[in-house]
Amino acid sequence: MSKKVFEINNLDLFYGDFQALSGININIENNKVTALIGPSGCGKSTFLRSLNRMNDLIDSCSITGEIEFEENNIYETGFDVINLRTKVGMVFQKPNPFPMSIYDNVAYGPRCQGIKDKKILDKIVESSLISAAIYEEVKDRLKANALSLSGGQQQRLCIARAIAMEPEVILMDEPTSALDPIATLKIEELISDLKKDYTIVIVTHNMQQAARISDYTAFFLMGELIEMDKTNKIFTQPTHQKTEDYITGRFG
Amino acid sequence: MSNKRKLKDCFYQTITYFAAFIAVATLSLIFLFVFINGYKLLDFGLLTNDYYATFYNGALEEGYSFSSTLKPDSLSEDVHYSEKWGLGLVDDKDREGNSIIIIEYVAEDSPLLLMYNKNSEEGIESIEFIEGQLISKIAYFDKGTSLTRTGAKVMISDLDSTETIREIVYSSLGGGIRGSIITTFYLIGITIAIALPIGIFTAIYLNEFAGKNKITNILRSLIEVLTGVPSIIFGLMGLAVFVPLTIKFTQADSANLISGSFTLAVILLPVIIRATEESLKIVPDSLRESSLALGANHTQTTFKVVLPSALPGILTATLLAIGRVIGESAALIFAIGTAVKDDISIFGKSTTLSVHIWSLMKDEPANIELASTIAIVILMIVLTLNIIIKLISKRFIRDLG
Repeated sequence: MSKKVFEINNLDLFYGDFQALSGININIENNKVTALIGPSGCGKSTFLRSLNRMNDLIDSCSITGEIEFEENNIYETGFDVINLRTKVGMVFQKPNPFPMSIYDNVAYGPRCQGIKDKKILDKIVESSLISAAIYEEVKDRLKANALSLSGGQQQRLCIARAIAMEPEVILMDEPTSALDPIATLKIEELISDLKKDYTIVIVTHNMQQAARISDYTAFFLMGELIEMDKTNKIFTQPTHQKTEDYITGRFG
Repeated sequence: MSNKRKLKDCFYQTITYFAAFIAVATLSLIFLFVFINGYKLLDFGLLTNDYYATFYNGALEEGYSFSSTLKPDSLSEDVHYSEKWGLGLVDDKDREGNSIIIIEYVAEDSPLLLMYNKNSEEGIESIEFIEGQLISKIAYFDKGTSLTRTGAKVMISDLDSTETIREIVYSSLGGGIRGSIITTFYLIGITIAIALPIGIFTAIYLNEFAGKNKITNILRSLIEVLTGVPSIIFGLMGLAVFVPLTIKFTQADSANLISGSFTLAVILLPVIIRATEESLKIVPDSLRESSLALGANHTQTTFKVVLPSALPGILTATLLAIGRVIGESAALIFAIGTAVKDDISIFGKSTTLSVHIWSLMKDEPANIELASTIAIVILMIVLTLNIIIKLISKRFIRDLG
């Protein structure tokens, strides 16, 4: 029986008066890849961003219900958000490395936590780049600007940057939607490797991608969780008609 | 239909070409005017000389012997030469257009080199008598004084017909703008040192930390209003606030460089705040988000990610600010004074290049030539600073991608 990392109970999320998520109940399993699928505007990205409280940045956003991360409600008053974000990393839709060197990009997170020792930082940077399968490509130019890398490399650098914090969970918000098929393939291979050490929650518009890489799939529609099950089951014998309609391309 | 459209296109294109032509032509004409008027006076001496001439009163001790050097061939026809005194003089005009007599040549065995300073209080003291100085008068024991207005030729013939000299009054060239240049750079330095940090941190506060509420918006519109206030009003404020303050707290006793810097800093603040805020605004939110997602707090995000990304814009703001400092004259007339000075003290009155131009032009008759020359100097300073900052920001942009 695998461990639950996130346990979400009755999550409602509002942007002002607009209810973006209603009554979400999900468990996210340890060291598995969970894919969130659904048509645009169904709330899957919103849900993902509520897992590390990135929605805090939006003033009009309010939340009821519980998200328990390792048995602590992350929306409890006094909860340490900074600490949460060091344990729950995030990779965004567009590759967004900082405008600094490759090394500094990866070392940014640890440095923000107060790690100054050059040797430790070197080690973290190297191992993170290796884990993100980009080390061989950049090892000779760690001082080069991160923006000189290609889009796919930039995205893997962003993954390395997230790994450098040694998180438990990595949230990925359509990480391959801005990349070409070859770069996408590399990221997918990387995700399959990473799940040995990390729990991954990935939002994707690409159903094949969800089928290829995920262990569990959750289908969202109009702010509601329609169905969540093992990926195999969702793609072969979905319980709900709506799920079947979506994955067979009848709408969305 | 198609013909009508062609005509319309042609009409709009003609308007744009015409407007562009007028703009470029006007700007070029201004530059041309300044250069044609000013280039004659432009030399290195102008930049390094004092504005005020130093006057010397020289006299001769008994026991000198006359020179025996013939007029060297290198001297032109215009130079009037006295073989007896070993002195070559030439008529000229100074930067203000007055007639002057310049020492063109002093022979090595000239008795005038042995002159002592008549005004010295510490006994006999030798003084400098060199080529390039101006002779304003020579007094004799046995006849009337020869003056500048009599011209070099008369002065030389007077010298040739006498054996003794009572006194020679001569001076350095003067008319240089060294003092105004130094004041300008002081002013740039002090003003930027005051205005830049305050402006940048205010912009960071407004854009990154302040809540998006009414008060912030009111603050922002107030700053925008300040951008449009005529600088002479700030000058009055400088006179009413900063001049008394500096007199109270420093050794200054009138308008001074410090009060001028503070006044200019106030003028610059809205400019710097707005430009910095604009460059902070264009830093993509995705950078802020990814920094926060890595467990950095708001302050770390602002100073480690957002601010460096906004640096090229901030450098441009600095350049704009420096341009304002160099160009400002109205406010400075009150806040720093119009006195052209050679010895610059930050607690004393002095004048910048722009105010110097104003002083030259307010006289009757206006000295357009020297004003244009100073204008050329200002243009060169602005151009140089522009290039330097462009290079720096190019470097930053390259480093930042």
